Amino acid sequence: MRVRGSFRKGVLILGSLTVFLLGGSLSQVVEAQPFVVSIWGGHWKEVIDKAVCVPFTQKTGLKVEFDVGETTDRLARARATKGNPQADVSFTTSHVARLYASEELIETIDVKKLSNAKDVLKIAFKSPTTIAPYATIYTMAYRTDMIKRPITSWEDLWSPELKGKIILPAFDPSHIIVVSALLSGGNEFDWEKGWEKLKALKGNVVAFYATGIQSIEMMRRGEAAVGLMNSPNIFRLQKEGEPVKLVIPKEKAIVTTDAVTIMKGTKKLEAAHQFIDILLSPEAQAEIVMGFNVPPMNPKAAIPKEVMERPGIFTKPEDWAGKAYIIDDEQRAKMLDVWREKFRRDIMR
Amino acid sequence: MCLLLPSIILVALFFWGLLLLFQYSFRSYIPGSLEVGGFTFANYERIVDRLYLGAVWETLVICFWVTAIALVLGYPLAYVLIRHPSPLLRSTILILTVLPFFLGIIVRSYAWMLVLGSRGFLNQVLTSWGVIEEPLQFIFRRSGVILALIQISLPIMVIMIAAGLSHIDRSYERTAETLGANPLKVFRHVTWPLSLPGVISGCIVVFGWTLSAFATPIMIGGGKVYVMTVMVYDQILGSGNYPFGAALGVFVLIVDLVLLGIGQKVIKRIQGRMRQ
Repeated sequence: MRVRGSFRKGVLILGSLTVFLLGGSLSQVVEAQPFVVSIWGGHWKEVIDKAVCVPFTQKTGLKVEFDVGETTDRLARARATKGNPQADVSFTTSHVARLYASEELIETIDVKKLSNAKDVLKIAFKSPTTIAPYATIYTMAYRTDMIKRPITSWEDLWSPELKGKIILPAFDPSHIIVVSALLSGGNEFDWEKGWEKLKALKGNVVAFYATGIQSIEMMRRGEAAVGLMNSPNIFRLQKEGEPVKLVIPKEKAIVTTDAVTIMKGTKKLEAAHQFIDILLSPEAQAEIVMGFNVPPMNPKAAIPKEVMERPGIFTKPEDWAGKAYIIDDEQRAKMLDVWREKFRRDIMR
Repeated sequence: MCLLLPSIILVALFFWGLLLLFQYSFRSYIPGSLEVGGFTFANYERIVDRLYLGAVWETLVICFWVTAIALVLGYPLAYVLIRHPSPLLRSTILILTVLPFFLGIIVRSYAWMLVLGSRGFLNQVLTSWGVIEEPLQFIFRRSGVILALIQISLPIMVIMIAAGLSHIDRSYERTAETLGANPLKVFRHVTWPLSLPGVISGCIVVFGWTLSAFATPIMIGGGKVYVMTVMVYDQILGSGNYPFGAALGVFVLIVDLVLLGIGQKVIKRIQGRMRQ
C-alpha cells in the first residue's frame, strides 16, 4: 500500500513537471514561430534571402525559415497539409500556381496592402492569388570553347554542326514546343504546326535534364555544348567563370513568370503581405536582377548600368515588345500533360 | 496483442494509402487542375500503349542485366569473403563491400557521371592512350545506367550470397572430396546447389531493388532511359495528372508482385528438389 501511494505521488509529480515544462516550451514555440518561405533551393534561396528576407526580418522582427524543394514536390507537400500550411508564402511557377489555386491552397492577395504595387508592370498581376516577382527567360546558352560559330537564332539549334550537342528540359517541354511552333508559323495554341520541325531536332539532342541543377552540371562538365535553359542558371554558369554565352535570339526569347503566393490558412497574413511588398520594392528588385539576371517587375529598380546592358535584362517597353515572347499560362497549364506525353513519345525516345 | 498494435497501425495506414491510390486510379483527370473527375477506366486503357509498356520492358531489361552481372561478379566476392583463409583479405573485402552503403545513391550516381562523362576519367584515359580520338558516349544511355546500378547493387548481392554460403555444412564438401571429386566437381555438385537459396534471395532483392531505382536512371539516363519509376514521377509530379499516375503506380505494383511471386515459386521448387 505504501509502495502504491509513493508510486502515485511520483506519477503526479512527474506529470505536473512534464505539463509545466511542455506548457512553457510550447508557449516559447508559439512565440518564436518563424515565417516560412517555400522556395527552390540553392541560388534561388540565397538571392531571395538577401534581397527580401533580411529586410523583412529587420522590419517585422520575424525570423525566416525555408521550405526547400522542386516545384511539384512542394505542391505535393502543400496538398498534403491543406488547411494547415507548413509555409506562409510560396514561390512557384505561374502555371503551377494555377494548380495551387484549383486546390484552394492559396489566398487572394490584397493589392491595396502593397505600397509598391502601383509601380509594378501589369504582367505581374496575372490572377487575384499570384504576383510575379520577376520574369524568367528561357533561351539558348552555348559554350564558346565548344561552338566556334556564334549562335544568334533559334534555327541554329537545327544545324547539323550541333548533332548530339544540345540539352533540353525533360520536365517542361513547353518552351521548345512553342519555339518550334513559332518557327513554323504557329504558337502555343497552334502548336501542332511545329511538331514535325521539333521531331527533326531529335538527332541534335544529347540529353534531357530533369532539374535546373542538372542542366548546369551538364553544361559545366561539357556533356553539352548548347542548352535551352533559364537565364538564372545560365548566369550562374557565367559567374562561375564557365565560357558560356547567353543568346537572345532574333525571333525573341521565351519568357515565363514565376509567382509568389500566400498560403491559405497562414497565421501571418499581414506579414505575408509585407513580405510581398518588400519583394516588389525597388531595392529588392535590384538585388533580384543582379542575383538572378532576370528582368525586374518594378521598373524603378535601381539597376547599375553594366547590369542593364546584359542580354535578357528587359527594362524598357521596347525590350519587352521586341525581345520577349510570353507563353499564355492558362494554355500551358491545360496542355502540359499532353505536351509532355507527346514529347516523351516522339522526341525523348 | 498490445505489442503488435504499432505494427498493425502502420500496416493499416499503408493499406489505407494503397486504397486511396487505387480509387484515384479510376478517376478522370481535369487538365490544368488538381481536382479529379468521375469514375473512368480510361487511365488503365492508356497504360496499354507502346510508350508505357516500353518503359516496363526497359525496366525489366535493366533489372535482368543488373541482376545477372551482379551475380557473376558478386558470387566470387562472396565466396572469398566466406571461405578465404586470410582474415585480412576477408576483412578488406567486407569493408570494400559495405563502404558504398555509407555514400548514398545520389553521390555514387554522381561519381559515375564523373567517371563516364564525355570529359570523364574513362574517356580521358582512352584518349591519352590513343585508343580513341573523340570521346565515347557512356552516359545518357541504357548501358551507363546498368553499369552504375551494378556497382550500387553489388554489395547487396555479395551480402545475400555470403549469408547463404556461410550456412553450408562443409562436411558435405569434404565428403565429396574424399570420394574423389575435384574442386570444380565439388563446387558444381555440392557448393553451388547448396548456395542456391542465397543466390536466389540475392537475385530477388537486387531485381526488386533495381525495379524501384529512380535517382540513377534520372541522373545517368539523361532523360533517354525511361523506366517505370520515372514514368510514375513524370505523371504525378511532372504533369500533375494524379489519376493516371495512380493507375501507373498500381500497374507497377502488380508487375512487382507478379515478379516476386515467380521468384518465390522458383525458390520453393529448388528447395523441394534439394530435399529430394
